[in-house]
Amino acid sequence: MGYAAARGGLTAIRNAEDLVRTLRDMDESEQIELDQFIGRLRLLVDRIMGEAGMWEPRLAALAIRQAEGDHIESVHLLRAYKSTLPRIASTEPIHVDDMRLLRRVVPAFREPGGPQILGRSTDYSARMLDPRSGSGATASLEPEVATHVADNSSSVQTNTPRLMNVLRDMDLLTDRRRTDDPEPFDITRTPARPPAPRSARLSSMARAETGALLNQWYRNILGPDGYLHEVTLGEVRHGELPIRIKHPYTNGSVSIGSLRVTEVEAIEDLNGVDEDRDRFDIGYGLCLGHNERKAIAMANLDIACHRDGSKSSLEQSILLTTDGLDSAGFLEHLKLPHYVTFRSMMERKIAVRNARPSVQKGDKA
Amino acid sequence: MTMNAVYNGSNLDSIVGEDPGIPFALLDEESKREIRRALLHAVCVPGYQVPFGSREMPVARGWGSGGLQITLAIVGKTDIVKVIDQGDDEGVNAVNLRRLVVTSTGIEESSEVVESTIIQSRHRIPEDEMINSHTLVLQVPVPEPLRGVERDMRELARMHAEADYSRMWVSLYEDKVRNGVITQTTGYPCLVNGRYVVATTPIPRWDIPRLHDSQFLTLFGAGREKRVYAIPPYTLVEPLTFEDVPFEVEQANGARCRLCSSSESFLVESPGTNGDAGTWTCSDTAWCRARRLK
Repeated sequence: MGYAAARGGLTAIRNAEDLVRTLRDMDESEQIELDQFIGRLRLLVDRIMGEAGMWEPRLAALAIRQAEGDHIESVHLLRAYKSTLPRIASTEPIHVDDMRLLRRVVPAFREPGGPQILGRSTDYSARMLDPRSGSGATASLEPEVATHVADNSSSVQTNTPRLMNVLRDMDLLTDRRRTDDPEPFDITRTPARPPAPRSARLSSMARAETGALLNQWYRNILGPDGYLHEVTLGEVRHGELPIRIKHPYTNGSVSIGSLRVTEVEAIEDLNGVDEDRDRFDIGYGLCLGHNERKAIAMANLDIACHRDGSKSSLEQSILLTTDGLDSAGFLEHLKLPHYVTFRSMMERKIAVRNARPSVQKGDKA
Repeated sequence: MTMNAVYNGSNLDSIVGEDPGIPFALLDEESKREIRRALLHAVCVPGYQVPFGSREMPVARGWGSGGLQITLAIVGKTDIVKVIDQGDDEGVNAVNLRRLVVTSTGIEESSEVVESTIIQSRHRIPEDEMINSHTLVLQVPVPEPLRGVERDMRELARMHAEADYSRMWVSLYEDKVRNGVITQTTGYPCLVNGRYVVATTPIPRWDIPRLHDSQFLTLFGAGREKRVYAIPPYTLVEPLTFEDVPFEVEQANGARCRLCSSSESFLVESPGTNGDAGTWTCSDTAWCRARRLK
């Protein structure tokens, strides 16, 4: 009851909300504190912040707790909250070379210049369920030592040489640097449609639903599209970037905090007939938080889109189909009442049948 | 209301500093101004889909977020809002959207067209007469009328720019030849002001004649696709059809509303069970109720 045709829709909605709240908050287990999400479900919090386009771990944790762990719903809560806020200031441009590295992997060279830092990663861990995980019994490093290791790796690593520059010095890189400095396309204020500038594609992917981006990538590897060619990764970095704004009164540059990002450079072998066959090109990915899967897919899709030169549907797929709120909202709207449209459809079925003079009514031919 | 608890709760105070409160009509003022600018553009170029920076709302995209943004951008403190879904003020989605509008603005709500100034609707135009003081806000799931004949957005932009609707005409022709009738159900494509073809949301064909030369302003909001468009009062609205193929609204073959016995409103069918014949009721519940009280 309580659907469109029934009275008392408001009561039904309130009851549904009460059920959700009560069964969530009165569960016999302990309430999960926000710090626990941030500390123990770090990658989930990072992913939510990335897809929300908002860096605020405590709000992300609050959203996850409220949404009972539904990640699209969590992103929705954060973005809807953001809609109520005025935009106060823009940060100064951030240079990614200012990153304090927490992790750096360069698959393209054995000794790439600068360190390779495996860092905090399960890449080479055996995927075996461990009943002791999370209990403290598995901690083989003293907490102070672990912190020290992290700090130590990060202390040296700003201005680590990047592979793009190595290739450029060897004259092995197509030069796509531009001399103008256009404002980046703001996808939150202007809808991005093809053909769109690269900054629109990059910011769309940075906010995209991680699974959607992963699927765009794999669909182009093994699916029907094939607009993409597998890259060699030049840089996979995770680290911390300082955020600065211009002080409204003094005009001085003021640090207001920092955030973590994942950054990827993907080297593309230009193998097309009309392309620069003696050079490489580079795709770029960067997203909030630690989310390598997303940044790698992004970098490969970025270069694929560039090489494609708007000849295929790839750009439209990236810009229009990868946002989690768009796709999930539209899918779930099918649950709404549709009886007016359905009535109209039934009427046309009868009209088509009546318009067939040669076929007996009710005949399925 | 629950939103207060979320946005103003003490949990957030330590995070966002001073209690920010909810702005009047939810969105920040800059955003509302931006949406109003897009709406002015839309009114000036009837039927043209104006891109706008659609915001994420407390309702999901595809659930009326575009209509809601329009209503919140134009609502003033003296407005009275009516919200319907499938013609019903009490449908769960209508109730939900109305409470968002009302609780974030403090304005009055009504189910009566005559009392309302803004009528937000999903899939219907009220049966009651609407006049110049009414603004109809329609929620649009798919604003692009040509998507059935073309998927590529660059080509779609070209077709609209050059008023090249030939493929639409061919598709209507093929439909008629293959099926004997034009099978387009709701959201029937219409030419607005002799210039742009629009998607008439999925309102039934029954409602299409109401858009033509109307006294009221109709604003269309597609939140997910980030487009608004408009049909201003007294604008030519022509459903696409051929000279010798009259435009047809939905027929119910003598059916009458089981509550008010109307046969001159848009009726929806409730299927019968155990072999019984189905029954019909008015989709517009406020209109039906008023008719019974007469």
